[in-house]
Amino acid sequence: MSDHPYLILDSHLDLGFSALQINRDLTQPAQTVRVADSELTMRSFGSCTTTFHDLHKGHVGIVFGTVMSRIDPNDLWTGTGMYDQTQCHGVGMGHYSVYKAMERDGIITQIHNRADLDASIQAWQNPQADTPIGLVLAMESADPILDPEQVPFWYDLGLRIVSISHYGTSSYCHGTGTEGGLLDRGRPLLDALKKAGIIVDLTHTTDQAFWEILDHYDGPVAASHHNCRALVPGQRQLTDDMIKAIVERGGVIGAAFDAWMLDPNWKRETPAWGQTTQATLETVADHIDHIAQLVGSANHSGIGSDLDGGFGQEQSPRDLNTIADLQRIPEILDRRGYSDADIGNLMSGNWVRLLKNVWG
Amino acid sequence: MAKHLIIDGHLDMAFNGLFYRRDLTQSVYELRNREDSIRGGVSAHPDSLERRMGPRPKHFTPTVALPEMRKGKVGIMLSTIMARVQDPAGNTHNALRTQANAYARGQSHLAYYRALERKGEITFIKSTSDLDACIQSWENPTEQTPIGLILSMESADSILGPDQVGEWYDAGLRSVSLTHFGANSYGHGTGTVGGLYPPAYPLMDALSETNIAIDLTHAADLAFWHILDYWKGPVHASHCNCRALVPGQRHLSDEMITAITGRGGVIGTVFAEQMLNPAWNWDDPRTHYATSTRPMKAALEHIDHICTLTGNTDHIAFGTDLDGGFGLELSPTDYNTIDDLQRFLNLMSDHGFSDEDIAKYASGNLIQFFKNIWS
Repeated sequence: MSDHPYLILDSHLDLGFSALQINRDLTQPAQTVRVADSELTMRSFGSCTTTFHDLHKGHVGIVFGTVMSRIDPNDLWTGTGMYDQTQCHGVGMGHYSVYKAMERDGIITQIHNRADLDASIQAWQNPQADTPIGLVLAMESADPILDPEQVPFWYDLGLRIVSISHYGTSSYCHGTGTEGGLLDRGRPLLDALKKAGIIVDLTHTTDQAFWEILDHYDGPVAASHHNCRALVPGQRQLTDDMIKAIVERGGVIGAAFDAWMLDPNWKRETPAWGQTTQATLETVADHIDHIAQLVGSANHSGIGSDLDGGFGQEQSPRDLNTIADLQRIPEILDRRGYSDADIGNLMSGNWVRLLKNVWG
Repeated sequence: MAKHLIIDGHLDMAFNGLFYRRDLTQSVYELRNREDSIRGGVSAHPDSLERRMGPRPKHFTPTVALPEMRKGKVGIMLSTIMARVQDPAGNTHNALRTQANAYARGQSHLAYYRALERKGEITFIKSTSDLDACIQSWENPTEQTPIGLILSMESADSILGPDQVGEWYDAGLRSVSLTHFGANSYGHGTGTVGGLYPPAYPLMDALSETNIAIDLTHAADLAFWHILDYWKGPVHASHCNCRALVPGQRHLSDEMITAITGRGGVIGTVFAEQMLNPAWNWDDPRTHYATSTRPMKAALEHIDHICTLTGNTDHIAFGTDLDGGFGLELSPTDYNTIDDLQRFLNLMSDHGFSDEDIAKYASGNLIQFFKNIWS
């Protein structure tokens, strides 16, 4: 195993949401943010684990940062579930603008293409205190895209990976917690995404929608933050057949760090601060391991932690304090017998390969 | 009396769209039927303490939506980008911890207006020709006539620095108040005592390169005079009443009114109990009523006062702020939805204003104000 920290790519972080809706200063250490957050914020969104400061500390040099807003009239909690798409567009552009403001301050640099990606990887081989974190713009629920004609607008902003649905039913597709497939408006949107060369993220689709998307869409796919149903039951996780289907299409699956997706005993109806998970970083490694055993290689998993994506430290692996602790995953994989090359691929190489394949 | 075209000099439409989640293309009555029992934000999480305390009484019943604006011929509005750096203990939508977040919130408001424009519901007014075209379209309006938007900003925190003024100007920004509640990146606002901070001066230098007007509403007293000392460009007060009638720093003293109007500025009348009731002192929460006690005609006193001070009717306008963080409960007692502003014009007529003066109040003075700046 390498003596140097591995470059880590985290394929799913709701940083815009954490800044704008939870109202955090993400340039500060997570432990400073915790002191600033109110008790109500802590109870609603948990203790902060993820800021640009801690990403830097953990050599998490490249992230997929989301634009996150969906149709969800019942969401009285997050400030991102909306009544209509006009509102979703507004919220989504707010998240994008968080990243633009961070880029202006040199905290991040947005990755639009292969040259940007290469430059970020290069910079993180010998990072300095001011090395910016590379950010690929992602979207969780396609509602902020007002219609297929608006896909090029979003592509120009840098959008490179989109999940069609999230919780509930979006304007385009059924998502987590519902039953059903693609809606009528979903297929023209998929066609526009294909034309633009945007990856479709299969995370948060229903089972039916998962297969309908794969049937209709022959462009690049991935699952940005998704664990294995063989280990944790429930619609939110991927069946072995789904994993194989994604892998056959050259996709990558990011391991999620939400206790709800790691711990079969986690009770969703109980507040996070009212229970303790037994999940640890080893549990995350179990999911990476499951995929590797299933498909016979370590070339299709990555890290898609989702940390601070509406939950905090209380609902994360119990031995994780901040996102800098992702850097402890390599030693776990090393103990399990993964080669140095495999670990490098799992930490970032697999996602980098996928992006390069798509971007040419 | 035939309906006059009305320009409302201050509305927070994007705030209503994104914070209260109001689909502003629906009628006010539709919005009332489905209003969230709890406002969005941190407190509504199923796990939160506040949620467990049950729904709070409504204090924010909506009164403004695009269909009622069309019905009342409120054909043009100044509507805000509204986000500020402030202790976020209270309202987490507008009061943000960092200026970067305030920029992002402001951009989300802008994107919301652009999405409404894309649907044909509103149209951005950036120039005299846009303004003329919009006025023209309201001479024979249809049910679909887009409402003209002159983009304004309440608290300049969404402008990250002088170099970003051009970006906001291109987006359509034509009026900006440097401060709002509390002390922000640029200076002292309502509820605080003090003047401008040093970053305000290079910001004003950049603003002076454009034809963006400075809105003196929500400047603390010292900040008000700091701005007037330094800034040579156009000024107005988009939504301010008179301190001679209602106490507190939030309102304009006679000296301030004279200073603004002396420089060609227009002052918008606010239609809110907290601005119309002399017993309500902004600076003393113990005087704050939960429901309104005063009718629309209370606003006439403020209009009269400004006209008496200036000796003419050239500096008065609507700047209602309706639904701007309060709702029907704190709006005038005889007001229900924004089309009632036409009834206010009737009250002006009963009060003795000529039809010509009423037209100036309804829209003429603000049209002239912006034409003077833009031409």
